[in-house]
Amino acid sequence: MTWELFAVFLGSSIRLATPLLLAGIGEMVSERAGVLNMSIEGMMLTSAFASAVGAWATGDPLIGLLIGIIAVQPVALLQAVLSNTLRANQIVSGIGINILVLGATTLAYREIFGARSRAEIPGLGKIKPPLLGDIPVLGPAVFEQVWLLYLGIALIVLTALVLRYTSIGLAIHAAGAEPKAVDKSGLSVTRIRYGCVLFAGFMASLAGAFLSIGDIHTFTEGMTRGAGYLAIASVIFGKWRVGGTVLACLLFGAATALQFQLPALGVDVPNALLIMLPYLLALLAVGGLVGRQMAPATLGEPFRR
Amino acid sequence: MSTTSGIETASVEPLLSLEAITKRFGSFAALSDVSLELRPGEIHCILGENGAGKSTLCNLIFGVHRPDGGAMRFRGVPFQPSGPADALGHGIAMVHQHFSLVPDMTVVDNVLLGRERGVLNRRQCAAQLEKLAVDYGLPLDPDAKIEDLSVGERQRVEIVKCLIRDPSLFVLDEPTAVLLPDEIAALLDVCRRVASSGRAVVLVTHKLAEIKKIADRVTVLRGGRVVATSATPAADIDALVRAMIQGNVEALDSSAASVLGLAPVPRARRDRSAIVKTEALQIDGLTVRDSQGVTRLDNFTLTVDRGEIVGVAGVEGNGQSELTAVLSGMMAATEGRIHLGEAELTGLAPKAITAAGIGIVPEDRHAVGCVTGMSLAENIYLNRLDEFTRFGFLKRSALQREAAAMMQRFDVRARGPAATFSSLSGGNQQKAVLAREITLPNLTCLVAAQPTRGLDVGAVAAVYDHIRAASARGVAILLVSSELDELLSVADRIVVLYRGRIMGACAADPARREDIGAMMAGHAQEHVQGNVHA
Repeated sequence: MTWELFAVFLGSSIRLATPLLLAGIGEMVSERAGVLNMSIEGMMLTSAFASAVGAWATGDPLIGLLIGIIAVQPVALLQAVLSNTLRANQIVSGIGINILVLGATTLAYREIFGARSRAEIPGLGKIKPPLLGDIPVLGPAVFEQVWLLYLGIALIVLTALVLRYTSIGLAIHAAGAEPKAVDKSGLSVTRIRYGCVLFAGFMASLAGAFLSIGDIHTFTEGMTRGAGYLAIASVIFGKWRVGGTVLACLLFGAATALQFQLPALGVDVPNALLIMLPYLLALLAVGGLVGRQMAPATLGEPFRR
Repeated sequence: MSTTSGIETASVEPLLSLEAITKRFGSFAALSDVSLELRPGEIHCILGENGAGKSTLCNLIFGVHRPDGGAMRFRGVPFQPSGPADALGHGIAMVHQHFSLVPDMTVVDNVLLGRERGVLNRRQCAAQLEKLAVDYGLPLDPDAKIEDLSVGERQRVEIVKCLIRDPSLFVLDEPTAVLLPDEIAALLDVCRRVASSGRAVVLVTHKLAEIKKIADRVTVLRGGRVVATSATPAADIDALVRAMIQGNVEALDSSAASVLGLAPVPRARRDRSAIVKTEALQIDGLTVRDSQGVTRLDNFTLTVDRGEIVGVAGVEGNGQSELTAVLSGMMAATEGRIHLGEAELTGLAPKAITAAGIGIVPEDRHAVGCVTGMSLAENIYLNRLDEFTRFGFLKRSALQREAAAMMQRFDVRARGPAATFSSLSGGNQQKAVLAREITLPNLTCLVAAQPTRGLDVGAVAAVYDHIRAASARGVAILLVSSELDELLSVADRIVVLYRGRIMGACAADPARREDIGAMMAGHAQEHVQGNVHA
């Protein structure tokens, strides 16, 4: 593999990992607080669609992004109400939301765009950070990325700091591990969990917007194609830690990037097999390689006083 | 004993007063017309049996529940906490019966939870912990994780969590239930120090030794009502006990009384002629290692003769759960063998073990002892339901008839055999489980783990009666319990488990209490000589 090819591989790995990173960190926060957010997929799709429509209608991708963020919050609120207030089964309700969103966005997409499918939509710009971007070969291929990626990195670092050093982080950890202790210390488990689900929705909306107006500047039906589930898998693979989740997302991103790289290298592997690769990895990760004992103790269980 | 002591009421203004408090859960009155006063600097004990309303009272004070009638006053001002946060804000702190600590967080983080906003100052908190450790005698490593601490240390964390808030009222709900004897002494010492710093301490308990030792005043609850108060508890102890159990101490089963700490453990209590020198249960070198490779049970070897009751003592979590789980077939032993008479039971499934003649009264009756959603009758005959079938269909009338007879024999009180198991009280549930296991047709050995946990005095006595009766029929009995008094009064001989190993064995002689206590705390059997297998 030449250096050029390697740089392209690295760059596309990071690009493909970005939606997973954004959604995965949000999901991790939610799971640390004890809520399993299966609807992350639906939230991403909602945002991918809403931000695409917003950018197309206004001509401004930034407004599109804002519309995407705003559009996801009701979905996140619905999930929060179902899993905390109504104490519904979190897996079933999440999958229900995903199916609902898939249907709704497909329908709305056909209504709005109709014949103009694959319309070019104004997308978010790329930035090349100083110094890093000037490295020969690597610079443009790896570091010239959509600015949303850099915002995401900043958010991930911020999240890690908040979890480690603040009272909010402590409360989130305790809400997932021993919610009774949170309740008895005078904090509200319900409020913490609502907040975390809404945060997961916010991060998923960035991830969804990255897919449509960040990466390919268009919307296609069901374009998340399981990225939300991969984000959930990366949380498990990463053992509910920021660093681990980031590494898992990068691994899944690299596995996806191989789809485009191996044919370019002339390696003859059936394409379908390569598309399967990240999901296969996720299955191995969830099923066998990591134990479940690392999970927050009350993950998926609604809190009852 | 007096109803109220006029002189004291006048001299000290109460910190918190409850006036005719009533609390109902549905149609059940958990508390009715309860009035009491808590004064700064005193240790006020609340005494009562299980279900007398002690915990409900604490939860009202702490704002977990709200009263349906009556009023509370805090420093003379009407007080109705909207929740724990409100109570904490008023300076009321509570150590709950069940710990609420986050196991995978450090001591400091557990203390900080809910106390600080924004960025955490762990160093400052650790310094505060150090000061408390000196002031109250509560040493703790601030950076230790809760899951690595012993039960006594965890309780210290709970206490420190409260004290760091500098409360004016400190409530402890049955804090001594899980502690070793010397840990209890240390805890009472902490209570005394807290009270002498001008705070009011409420200590909920059903152990009289503690009341004698430390209480300034006592309020006795029975059936949700205040039935007695005393400002001189040590002198009034007999009257307080009578009020608590509504009857005569002398009339009480002597073993049950000793468990409550009411009476010394009876000495010459059992006719041991029933013990036949035939080995029934033989456990040989039983070792259990968990998935992490930690040894939970280490080379456990024990023989129980027919008609003999062997007690397994020890603080909970020292291998008792693993021992009973292996004996019941719910867990596979890493090494070792189990025989019942001639038959080898090692590695058999629970069904085969039951068929071989071992009855199991599990420690956690809700998780493994019964099916709470099924009827009482179905639960009593759970392991023999196929005897009540014809062509594969259940003969419900026959089942209910037989179950009704069992209910009478074992004094299980419920609406009827068709009542849902979960509608029964804890004592009646336990009697039903015991009835099922003890009436196994070929019962030769009964393994009973914590069989009286959470039961009131009457139910405790009934459980002991049934265990003794089975032993008189020649059944070998292995009684696992964390209540030393229970073992001393029921068992013939006691082995002590510590970190999965047998630390020693001796006859169940009350005079040996201190030796056994030392072994429970991990000291090897030095002065306990001989008598291992009398």
